[in-house]
Amino acid sequence: MLAIVSRAENQVEIVFGTDAYYGKEISVDEMRFRRFMSIACGLACMGAMVTGDLFDFTLFVSLVGICNVGIVAAVKTKHVQNAAFQYGIVALTATVPLFGGAAITAATTGTLSMIALGTALAGPVPFIAQAALVLGVMGEGMAPFYAAKAEMFRAPGAPYVIMCSFSSLLIFLRVVEVVLTI
Amino acid sequence: MWNQYSIGMAVVLASGVIAFAALAFERDDLHRLLLIDLVEIPSLGVVALLGTDLAEALVLPGLVVGIAELLALSHIYLLKEDLRDRPEGYLHIEVVEIGHAPVIIAVLLVVYGLILSGFTGGGIAGLGIVFFFMAKGHHENFSLLEAAAGISWGIWVCSFFVFMFLPQYWMLAVLGAGAGILLRHCPVLHPLHGRALPAGPRLHRARHREPG
Repeated sequence: MLAIVSRAENQVEIVFGTDAYYGKEISVDEMRFRRFMSIACGLACMGAMVTGDLFDFTLFVSLVGICNVGIVAAVKTKHVQNAAFQYGIVALTATVPLFGGAAITAATTGTLSMIALGTALAGPVPFIAQAALVLGVMGEGMAPFYAAKAEMFRAPGAPYVIMCSFSSLLIFLRVVEVVLTI
Repeated sequence: MWNQYSIGMAVVLASGVIAFAALAFERDDLHRLLLIDLVEIPSLGVVALLGTDLAEALVLPGLVVGIAELLALSHIYLLKEDLRDRPEGYLHIEVVEIGHAPVIIAVLLVVYGLILSGFTGGGIAGLGIVFFFMAKGHHENFSLLEAAAGISWGIWVCSFFVFMFLPQYWMLAVLGAGAGILLRHCPVLHPLHGRALPAGPRLHRARHREPG
């Protein structure tokens, strides 16, 4: 909500060695797309936070990853697009350990319910599955490192870049909780 | 120790390692995009190794998410490299464009897909229709295909709900689902598509050629 009602500062770049500077105009369509991506990211994030199913959790986390990449990729600048592409590759490769972790959990314990996994009846979840889950979430939450935290409101894509940071913080917290529970 | 699951897991992990190594060595962005698709397959393989009906239910969302990410990435790649749709780039199969071959092959695929039923059958039938339109080279036909697919999807979903909530009307639901599938294949038989085909490939390159 804060991101929606706030008015973003326009970016100003100074030409090195001279007094000249130029401001960057961001079109309404671009802002609208970023806002949509932020809302989608928030919804996916909410899903990842409340779900009680391990595989649903991995799906929501990968959705968060896509939305983060989308927010970054909405900036029509060459180097930002390059960065978004690389983050996208990381996010896609991260689905392998993510789904792998969930699948190994299902194969060894026979259930994907976090409540069932929390009890002693389901048996211990192998360490490799937990490690894979954490690795996958780390890969999906990569995008926020694109902008330094202090520059969050000035970086290309501001102010919606903060949603990347926020969502990845939430899914990091959640994966810790999940791994401690199961 | 080495049961079927372990062997399968070892194979999948080995293929995953190979795919990751290829990704690490590759420097070209487009090739990396293609390799990403290769990396996706081991992740689906791990899920499929469960070998239960749960695995099928998990592979589908995994596949959808993977494809969504791949689509997003390829779109970013297009934006990044500033690539645009070139008019001369459309698929042009001269052999099948003249005769009735696309119709025959499409009908064969659709009938075979109907017999197979389920996800595989739907895939094969859809492939037949897509092949038909690609062989025709009509871009505007895709909108009709989408509309028909949307309506048939709607009918199919309604039939599904009838199965779930009103199981005593199962016959109606079967008929509805059948009608949905039939409607999906209707564009193939549509008289509009029997009209004259566009002549040969347009020579866009020739126009841009510099004089002398």
